[in-house]
Amino acid sequence: MSKKSVELAVLNPRGKVEARSSFAPNPRVKELAGKRVGLYSNGKPGMDNFYTVLEELLKKKFPSVTVKLLTGAFEITDRDAKDWAPQIDTFVYGVGD
Amino acid sequence: MAGTVKLEKLGKPGVFINCDTFDDDAKSASHDNGMPTVRRRIIKSSEFYKLRGTVKDIRPLVEKVFDELIDALTRPLTSGEANPPGAKEEVDGPPEITITGESFPIAIEEFNQQFLEKRWGDGLPLVPPTPERVGWMLSGTVRSPHEVIGKVNPRQGAATIEKIAINAVMAGAKPEYLPVIIAAMEALTDENFDDLHILVSAGSFSLIIVVGGPIADEINMNSGIGFLGHGWRANNTIGRAVRLATLNIGKMWPGANDMGLTGRVSPHTFYTFAENAKLSPWKPYHASRGFKAGDSTVTVATIGGSSPMQNFYGGMIGTWTAQGILDNMVADIIRTDRGLFGLWGAKGVGQYPGSGVGARSHFILLFPELAEELKKMGFDQKSLQDEIYRRTSVRYEELSPADRRGIQTGMETGVVPPERKAVFQEALKPGGMVSVLITPENLHFFVAGGAPGCAFSFSYFRLPPYNRIAVLTRLVTGATLTKAGALE
Repeated sequence: MSKKSVELAVLNPRGKVEARSSFAPNPRVKELAGKRVGLYSNGKPGMDNFYTVLEELLKKKFPSVTVKLLTGAFEITDRDAKDWAPQIDTFVYGVGD
Repeated sequence: MAGTVKLEKLGKPGVFINCDTFDDDAKSASHDNGMPTVRRRIIKSSEFYKLRGTVKDIRPLVEKVFDELIDALTRPLTSGEANPPGAKEEVDGPPEITITGESFPIAIEEFNQQFLEKRWGDGLPLVPPTPERVGWMLSGTVRSPHEVIGKVNPRQGAATIEKIAINAVMAGAKPEYLPVIIAAMEALTDENFDDLHILVSAGSFSLIIVVGGPIADEINMNSGIGFLGHGWRANNTIGRAVRLATLNIGKMWPGANDMGLTGRVSPHTFYTFAENAKLSPWKPYHASRGFKAGDSTVTVATIGGSSPMQNFYGGMIGTWTAQGILDNMVADIIRTDRGLFGLWGAKGVGQYPGSGVGARSHFILLFPELAEELKKMGFDQKSLQDEIYRRTSVRYEELSPADRRGIQTGMETGVVPPERKAVFQEALKPGGMVSVLITPENLHFFVAGGAPGCAFSFSYFRLPPYNRIAVLTRLVTGATLTKAGALE
């Protein structure tokens, strides 16, 4: 008789997650000069300070850059996204977490 | 992460910044949002949180990551990034797992070890969900094991009746509890209920699960002294079954994608209790939610985090009167909510105006003796709501300009619902009185416990951050082993 004499069959408790379509990120901008750079913050304290410095550094390195700051929901709302996207060429999304 | 993907889908290339503490969470979220190769850059939590308070302090950190951010925005995508892995269904292991051991106790220990290592347990010993045991559990409902009742956040796992039953077995529940557990899961997975915030938020929010109606007695729930405590299998395992079902079906784990910083008080069972129908002088809570008094229901509601309970006193030490406890309730609600007027006009932290900020809901638990005294004073739940609503009002002249702006904006954005607008238009003028509550129905009364009388409460945002509602009552249906809940 085998030493492992007891077998216990148990059912899997884990939920099935449906297959989801995968999308690739967009091609990057080649350079930032002359571009409109969006900085998105969910408004948690501190990200504004982070972006103040980031904007300063961006403008110093790329004087022709335009910075578009937006503070909104934890995850940008559909309305804000639709309004903001046409105003930017590329973006940084910081949530503070 | 969802916002980053949303902007990418609108054609804008970007980079998501997250702290290293949240890295597993960010990876998981990028996958769940359909963009597993989204560009991310990581900053150290140990630096960011301490330094972010001032521009001067945060400067060295931004300077340090500046080149990385420029790189993330401009360096062409790699082949791997441009061709993310294709979509596939995600299942964790085979439907049935065989555990072996030299003896039954050793196999049980091995089962517990394996499940916990896979992050399929809650840290307490589990009952093995053998096919026979799960079949026994399913005998408590007429519903098909394959029926999908909804999806559980954060991974959107499909909650079938069978998966709920498997987790109920692991929790130590009995078949006659299953319809109650299913009703709780139906509420949590309702398309309008914000289960995401309670399940994964850094604030370690929690749940109350309240069973109302005759099924509570039939399954021997304790609704008297110690109703939130140990010693009653139904009280203790219904909540645990919900905990395990959310953990396993929604696939979350502390520090990975459940970012509750402290973890929850009552982490294994949430706050599960039954209303004390025998001693309550009033109709059950669910009668105020559109159900018949004789129905059996489950109410789930999100509540605050690590110190969730507010005590209004009473009890067996100090002397008390019902009027005194009522005064304490009014004073406490004014104290906690008076400063929120300005936030009624806030944009909110979610998709909807005012979400996750501003006015609150209060879930007040009254011991039967106190409810009896309040009844003698002429109150039922409705008139008690109206009384507290009236007494938690602030004179217009005492409101600051910011308070008035917040209330006015809240009326314009819909935070104050259309049917309440006229009330606040009338109140927001000289001589008017504005309640800190948007509607009397934001006070929820449950009668539980015994004698002596006392009261305490839980509170939460009236509008949750990630969806429309945070309190929902569902009918118990499909029961086979109890008279209550047997009818559709």
